[in-house]
Amino acid sequence: MLLRSLASTALLATAFSAHATDFPVQLQNCGYTLTLDKAPTSVVTIGQAGTEMLYALGLGDKVVGTALWFNPVQPRFKAVNDKVPRLSDNIPSFESVLGKRPALVVSQFEWMVGKDGVVGTREQFHDLRIATYAMPADCEGKNNLVGSDGTRTASYDVKALYKGIRQLAQAFDVEARGESLVKALSDRQTQAVAKVKSSGLQNLSAALWFSSADLAADPYMAGKNGVAGYMMQALGLRNVITSAEEWPTVGWETIARANPSILIVARMDRRRFPADDYQKKLDFLKKDPVTQHMDAVKNGRIVIVDADALQGSIRQVDGMEQIANAVLKIEGLSK
Amino acid sequence: MNTYTPSLSRPHLPAGRLLRAALLGAAAAALLLLAVVSGIAIGETDISARIVYEVLANQMLGTSYVIDPINAGIVWNYRLSRALVAASCGAGLAVCGVVLQSLLRNALAEPYLLGISAGASTGAVLVSVAGLGAGLVSMSTGAFLGAVCAFALVALLAHAAGNGGLSNGGQIVLAGIAGSQLFNALTSLIITKSGSAEQARGIMFWLLGNLSGVRWPDTVLTASVTMAGVLVCLMHARSLDAFTFGSESAAALGVPVRRVQLTLLLAAALMTAVMVSVVGAIGFVGLVIPHAARLLVGVRHGRLIPASALIGAIFLIAADVVSRTLIKGQVLPIGVITALVGAPVFAGILLRGRRGHA
Repeated sequence: MLLRSLASTALLATAFSAHATDFPVQLQNCGYTLTLDKAPTSVVTIGQAGTEMLYALGLGDKVVGTALWFNPVQPRFKAVNDKVPRLSDNIPSFESVLGKRPALVVSQFEWMVGKDGVVGTREQFHDLRIATYAMPADCEGKNNLVGSDGTRTASYDVKALYKGIRQLAQAFDVEARGESLVKALSDRQTQAVAKVKSSGLQNLSAALWFSSADLAADPYMAGKNGVAGYMMQALGLRNVITSAEEWPTVGWETIARANPSILIVARMDRRRFPADDYQKKLDFLKKDPVTQHMDAVKNGRIVIVDADALQGSIRQVDGMEQIANAVLKIEGLSK
Repeated sequence: MNTYTPSLSRPHLPAGRLLRAALLGAAAAALLLLAVVSGIAIGETDISARIVYEVLANQMLGTSYVIDPINAGIVWNYRLSRALVAASCGAGLAVCGVVLQSLLRNALAEPYLLGISAGASTGAVLVSVAGLGAGLVSMSTGAFLGAVCAFALVALLAHAAGNGGLSNGGQIVLAGIAGSQLFNALTSLIITKSGSAEQARGIMFWLLGNLSGVRWPDTVLTASVTMAGVLVCLMHARSLDAFTFGSESAAALGVPVRRVQLTLLLAAALMTAVMVSVVGAIGFVGLVIPHAARLLVGVRHGRLIPASALIGAIFLIAADVVSRTLIKGQVLPIGVITALVGAPVFAGILLRGRRGHA
């Protein structure tokens, strides 16, 4: 797998070598126009998705500071990441970002750098001649001024992720690497979709349980328009949750009555709520007087997926593969 | 200062008024029953009245209708336990509000004034975010302990500031504000310092009040605590009447002021702490319901306490039903509903009161 992707990188590199970026370059980004006279020599990333995306593009040596970590860095990037100063695990201060004198700031969320940004507004950085880039996955078709995690005005599409990869690759003059990364990700997604199709299972429905504020309380479920909702829909699974919010709270009564054929349960390192532990989630599903009667629970059609894969990041395809592999193992459903 | 107020003498109750009181009581009980039944019948999803009846009959009359186990579980384990917890909390919070408003002679007094909800949030985040108790202590237990600690601190501060007595309700109000600010700041500090980057909305949701996680053990706990607490308050109804005119007047009337103050404050604090730990901080019930009840039955605590309890119970069940049905397929925090209904009702009471005194 690794060899194959290396080989394809090499192939693509020759195919696209003519496409070197012509500076100055202008990028349209979430309502702003980014003008770069040359490839940025230093970048601060706020949000793990952007950090790992730059690492995947081989730009680790350009990253001079990182912040906002949800999970440990992917093992394949550990060596690169160890050399980069971490400004903070959580939200960095405006001045700690400035202190690195970056040419560019890449932010995963608009609520970090954006109109109501807790780190700062984009204008604040622009005034100091620091360029900013916001991930299209978080701003396109999404209103981040409404709802605690923002509200999607249109369904998320993986194209927004690819656009982010391509634009960053263009900004750093590594377009061939960007194309090969996009190709590798979209090939894997195509294979995952084909896998579910090959199972021959018809009318598959699903619900994805992220966590709950208290074990028995109304759970946070994947809404229909968010990243996780897109993953289900792209795989051919009908999400029984119809809310447009990114992570709506939905009562177990509604979920149990909807009786999805598959329940997807998030696994995470976070331990803020009891239900962050997926073992406790499984235990609850089997013991609760209502959920124990759901078809998915009775027949063991429960899929575990890593929470890091439920964001608009290069890890998303990992989650789609996990779900697809689990669907192949499902038994007892009519074809 | 030995002012004797004639209104404290018990007026003779004619038979007609007794009958009226009995009828009112029966009507109130019927209303409460109706509220509980609608709490069971109306929910996030549609379950027909027939199925609801069959579930209840199977459980309580020993019949054996064949019912889908999911429907049976929803009606009996989710909705009924939830309606009863809502009733208990509504009643308890309203009575706590009555007691505190009378004791502190402050129309704005409410159960969370004593720093209890702020302390509960600190306790909850200490357990869930900072990992105190290493998984052995539940978030509810943490919230309860936090609430009790905060109340103890507020009470000590008020006690010290009041030179050993609670002669002036103002001291406990100010101590409560100081305590709340302190514990809210601690909560923010713990959340901000926590390692993993996530928005803390889960905890905020819980603090806005949330009845979704309640099951039968919570019902037993809240119902028994509420009943015991309301009983204690009822036993002190006449002392509370006396406090309406200040603690000096109450002392002059032979009320053992400090013992009664301590007992009632403790009862209110413990009731509130238990409720906050089970359902979070549901605002406005403890503030608005006592005023509404006073408007209906007058200021005498013998009637005011049971009336507040009933109205509180019915109000919270209704608010819970609305919170579950307002947006299809999604549940709103119940605190949003109580505030949305409570604020205009409170405004109405204020305006009516102005006309009454004009």
